[in-house]
Amino acid sequence: MRLSLTEADEEFRATAREWLLANAPKDRAPPDGQASRDYALAWLARCHRDGWSGISWPTEYGGRGLSQERLLIWYEEYVRARAPSVLDCTFVALNHAGPTVFACGTEEQKAFHLPRILGGKVIWCQGFSEPGAGSDLAALSTSAVVDGDHLVVNGQKIWSSFADVADYQELLVRTLPGSKRHQGLSWVICDMKSKGITVRPIENMAGVTHFAEVFYDNVRIPLSNVVGGLHEGWKTAMTTFGFERKTAAIGLQLELSVKIEDLIALAEPLPGSATAVRLGELRAEVAGLRSMTYRALLREPANASDGSLVRLSFGELAQRVYRAAMDILGPDALLNGSWTHDYLESYSETIAGGTAEIQRNIIAERILGMPRIK
Amino acid sequence: MTCDLNLNEDQRQILGAASVMLEASYPVARRRQRRPDDLAELAAFGAFGLALPQDGGEAGYSVVEEALLHVLLGRHVVSTGALAASLAARLAANTGRSDLADGIVAGTTGVCAAIAAKDSALLVERGEASFALLFDGRELALLDMDGIDARPVESLGHGIPLQRIASGEAREIARSADDELADTADLLISAQLLGVAEAARDLTVAYANMRQQFGQPIGGFQAIKHHCANMAVGAEMASAQLDMAAIALRDRRADASFQVAALRHLAEKAAIFNTRTAVQVHGGIGFSAEADVHHYLKQAHLLSRLGAGAGLLAMPAPLAPHEALIRGE
Ligand SMILES: Cc1cc2nc3c(=O)[nH]c(=O)nc-3n(C[C@H](O)[C@H](O)[C@H](O)COP(=O)(O)OP(=O)(O)OC[C@H]3O[C@@H](n4cnc5c(N)ncnc54)[C@H](O)[C@@H]3O)c2cc1C
Repeated sequence: MRLSLTEADEEFRATAREWLLANAPKDRAPPDGQASRDYALAWLARCHRDGWSGISWPTEYGGRGLSQERLLIWYEEYVRARAPSVLDCTFVALNHAGPTVFACGTEEQKAFHLPRILGGKVIWCQGFSEPGAGSDLAALSTSAVVDGDHLVVNGQKIWSSFADVADYQELLVRTLPGSKRHQGLSWVICDMKSKGITVRPIENMAGVTHFAEVFYDNVRIPLSNVVGGLHEGWKTAMTTFGFERKTAAIGLQLELSVKIEDLIALAEPLPGSATAVRLGELRAEVAGLRSMTYRALLREPANASDGSLVRLSFGELAQRVYRAAMDILGPDALLNGSWTHDYLESYSETIAGGTAEIQRNIIAERILGMPRIK
Repeated sequence: MTCDLNLNEDQRQILGAASVMLEASYPVARRRQRRPDDLAELAAFGAFGLALPQDGGEAGYSVVEEALLHVLLGRHVVSTGALAASLAARLAANTGRSDLADGIVAGTTGVCAAIAAKDSALLVERGEASFALLFDGRELALLDMDGIDARPVESLGHGIPLQRIASGEAREIARSADDELADTADLLISAQLLGVAEAARDLTVAYANMRQQFGQPIGGFQAIKHHCANMAVGAEMASAQLDMAAIALRDRRADASFQVAALRHLAEKAAIFNTRTAVQVHGGIGFSAEADVHHYLKQAHLLSRLGAGAGLLAMPAPLAPHEALIRGE
């Protein structure tokens, strides 16, 4: 067990730090809409131009092909420099759609999509959830019927983050008519400009419009856009979840290390006061989360579902940190400042990507081996 | 890779051997007799001098392996005498008493843990120990128990053999306010707390999968599953933090004291939460003194009285924010 960085690693850190300090935009990112898209893509393109996108992505598709420790270093410097939140509209493409295409896609799919993602040319969204299929994703009913060399999609998705500004969607549909549950699904790349797609943005409780409903009316998608095999979509979706729960949130998890320091600086608690104790304990937990993040990247997982432990810890801890911020702010908490905004947004951390209850089910059943009884 | 959080072959071997020894000599059921632990087998295993230089040479192992060993001791609810011996040997060696250190490591000189309390110190599982290691906040003191008359006192639910000094004054032969030793103490205490937390989780999951009510294992009920998932999350966070803190301390990194203090908080929280939840999930048998659950709970409370994590806001955290960075830190 060691965590010793080489001189070359330290050099990498220094270079990353310098570059981020010089280049990270100082203006605040627009919260939503076309402006948020332009801002995020411009920032990603700038990163890419100077070799700072796709740190751990394979080189043949435009990444840097660097090690996990370099990835950690990059994110640490990224959050310390207060570079734009990693949870912007490039998130889906960079953190789970892209990695899924890389893991399960064809050569053509990889060659076409991955460089566009890294270059900051396109936005992706995720179309898994439906009105009747949230936690119970396998209940999804949006259908895609094979018609020649195309699929014809009809149905509805919901809570699709960034769908209003996206070019592509990772779309999970039922391709085998009459199939049940996990069988007969396919994971397809849907061009959001296709005829028959209607996007209705939905405002969230923080007052921003990130997610949307998407309606499909005879949308034609080439069969060559299926990723991981026709009717094999559940397996591909599990790969997506693997990334979503394991590595996607590294940047967010580490960002909490900076947020807690900011909160301590804001609160200036008297030594020994209740606030000091509370912030000290939160600081310890944030350190624990960082250690879990390190473990997730630098240790063979004991269990494929280990990501759920980190995911659940992060979501609930982020909420505790922002609850503390609300108490510390006092009446100012009622104004829509950044802490209040983060507080409201943090409610999603135990819902999106599998609710806290679902993560607990996964931990109990797949890590602890407890019985699955309905 | 320059960074690697997997156990290496050496570590796997020594931990495997320790597990076998502990299963054979320290099954938790022995705790039902409520007698002070005999630590001879542990001494024979070399547990108390694991990270000490041997015969003037290099130490065989580091504080990382020692911490991982102490997780196993926690799992087996081993007497705090093992902690006391490991730390007292260091204190004796640091203060030039190498004969005493050798005797402690060999197990021929017994040391028990003592806790600074109102009136006089509490001695934990004293047995035949001729020395006591006093945990006095961030300081450690080695006490010579020669000529000391100590009387048994009733401990929490009669769970742990405790004594209080009745007459005579223990002679303090060494004291340390050294940060590295205090951090080592907190690391090992935390490791044991983590072991208790993990054991409570495993014991509870096994019980929940076996115990039938309403025609099914209670582990199938979601309320029970979620209790167990919460235990798993707390233990996992403390366990990841243990690796981080132990490595930081071994490598004398600048953030070592902070990492240990964070660990101390997480491990204590996990141990108390997991043992409390273990009682609940076991139902009536969990509340009885005939099952082993209460031993873990009491050990968690005992361990949490030892040492004292450094103040959590007193030290800079590893990911310093931006301003500090710009100031050229
Ligand atoms: C900010 C945000 C962004 C999102 N982005 C996307 C996206 O980009 N693409 C996408 O496809 N989806 C997205 N989602 C949807 C998200 O995946 C779902 O909201 C989530 O899976 C829960 O489904 P649901 O909302 O239908 O809630 P429900 O499944 O109806 O759950 C309601 C409550 O019941 C509980 N519950 C349900 N089943 C169980 C069970 N078996 N045991 C115990 N409790 C249970 C839940 O934990 C929850 O508390 C997003 C959600 C949010 C909040």
